Amino acid sequence: MVWPAVSLVLLLSVFPLVFSLWVLFVEYDFSVSNDHPWVGLDNFNDNLIDPVWWNSVKVTAILALSAVAVEFILGLLLALAMLRPFRGRRILMVLVVLPLFISPVVVGGFWDLFLRQPIGPANQIATWVLPGGPVTTNFTEDGLWPYISVVMADAWQWTPFMFVVMLAGLSAIPNDVYEAADIDGAKPRQSFFFVTLPLLLPIMLVAITFRFIDAVKLFDIIYTLTRGGPGTQTYTTSYYLYYQGFERFHLGQGTAGAWMFMIVLSVISFWLVRRLLTPVEA
Amino acid sequence: MRSRSNHGGSTGVVRGSGVGSWTRWLIIVAYFTFLILPLYWALVTAFKPQEDLLAQPPVWFPRDPTLSHFGSALHRLEGLDGIKNSLIIASASTVVSVVVGTAAAFSLARFATGGKHLAFWFLSQRLLPPVAIIIPVFLLYSRYSREWLGVQLIDTHVGLILLYTVFSLPWTVWMMYSYFRQMPPELEHAALVDGCSHWQALWKIAIPLAAPGIVSAAAFAFIFAWTEFLFAFLLTSSDAKTLPVVLVGYIGLFQGNLWGETAAMTLISLIPALLLGILLQRHLVRGLTMGAVQG
Repeated sequence: MVWPAVSLVLLLSVFPLVFSLWVLFVEYDFSVSNDHPWVGLDNFNDNLIDPVWWNSVKVTAILALSAVAVEFILGLLLALAMLRPFRGRRILMVLVVLPLFISPVVVGGFWDLFLRQPIGPANQIATWVLPGGPVTTNFTEDGLWPYISVVMADAWQWTPFMFVVMLAGLSAIPNDVYEAADIDGAKPRQSFFFVTLPLLLPIMLVAITFRFIDAVKLFDIIYTLTRGGPGTQTYTTSYYLYYQGFERFHLGQGTAGAWMFMIVLSVISFWLVRRLLTPVEA
Repeated sequence: MRSRSNHGGSTGVVRGSGVGSWTRWLIIVAYFTFLILPLYWALVTAFKPQEDLLAQPPVWFPRDPTLSHFGSALHRLEGLDGIKNSLIIASASTVVSVVVGTAAAFSLARFATGGKHLAFWFLSQRLLPPVAIIIPVFLLYSRYSREWLGVQLIDTHVGLILLYTVFSLPWTVWMMYSYFRQMPPELEHAALVDGCSHWQALWKIAIPLAAPGIVSAAAFAFIFAWTEFLFAFLLTSSDAKTLPVVLVGYIGLFQGNLWGETAAMTLISLIPALLLGILLQRHLVRGLTMGAVQG
């Protein structure tokens, strides 16, 4: 009964990877010619000598780490705030998870509509809220704003993930530990830091790991929100590989980059998942 | 104003959170403002008449809301085709993924096929970055499937259905695997003793018991296929363009003239998200973490 599933994965995931081992070492360029001369390690080298590649690696790491950090903090705060039942909680619960089911390109599009200079209201809101004169920031071009905008859009989409997982973790903590802490004279803040946090730690690690493994693949939001711009400043590694492979048709170089990216990611994910599976000392 | 006690963790302070009730409401209001603003903006943009779209200052409440953007997006700009293609591809890949995945999961859970390794092998597929296989898949689809097998896969429904099935399989297999492992095998044993075949035990006992798991696995597979962009974008050009591809085309091609249409299609694409979000409430945690956290 496992065969249909196994053969599908073999056919469309394992076989393409094996096939790409050949593309790695030949020149495969649509725009040049139809034969594919052996070029050895040139495809790897083309990436490694490209400053845009290295910048994309840096951008990917920074964006993924900041997005996961923001999502974690927001998700935890919101889970703490919404833990206890209140009127309207059910409706808010449906609303809060909505972004999880929206296409990331659409999320990028949302934020583009919202931030874009003449038509979006972002500057208008900033002018209302902030003291001083009118704000006229171009949120996808100026200074650090492109990065902040991407992190904001990613956090908009994925904070609910952290929230949902943390909420499950918080609800699973039995009441008696708090009663015990209460009897021992713990103040609310103390019971948060010495009871809640340690008990929540394993679930926090699961949530952060899962989110991080996905966050480093960031592509869609970049594609609709900044298009990698200004210039190549917000190229993530996924975006860079897309650009090499499908806008410049350097398929060999793109494949070589994809393999390097995949190997680094596998090592990191494997290490993270491994750590999760070893029990946490309480 | 009612005064609230700060002691005992039962009234003013959320149990064990250290968050007081004012802070609590502040967090909720701030977060929902952040959540709703862009949604609201897309909503009004979809109904704004053309002259309001570029108005300065931006229009928050359009005076004469119009449905014209919905009409032109659906009929003139491939919107209906996109919806149709997305529905076909998402439903078909969901069905295949759930059927094939459930069978595999049952076998893994009950007969320990391939030991633990095979189960983890499925799981590890989930860690692969999609860019890692997009180039070889593109080459195989656009060229070699025709040269070697005489099969056209690029820009076809079947091509994307197969691919999406494979991408959602780790999810369905792993979710159903954890589901079956929690179910006591005694019921199926009893059925076998009573003369059922293995297939009947699966079909008549295990599947009905695992129905909630199947529903949530199916919902996740559907949402994945409904929202995927990169592969659909690179592997389709006209016949099988899915909704996200059609939508992104508006942004890329017409540079700013189609904001209303973009917003309108965005809203349409949210409908399944809303429905499935309600349906999935209870299974969300398990689905999102592939069973690593039990909600």
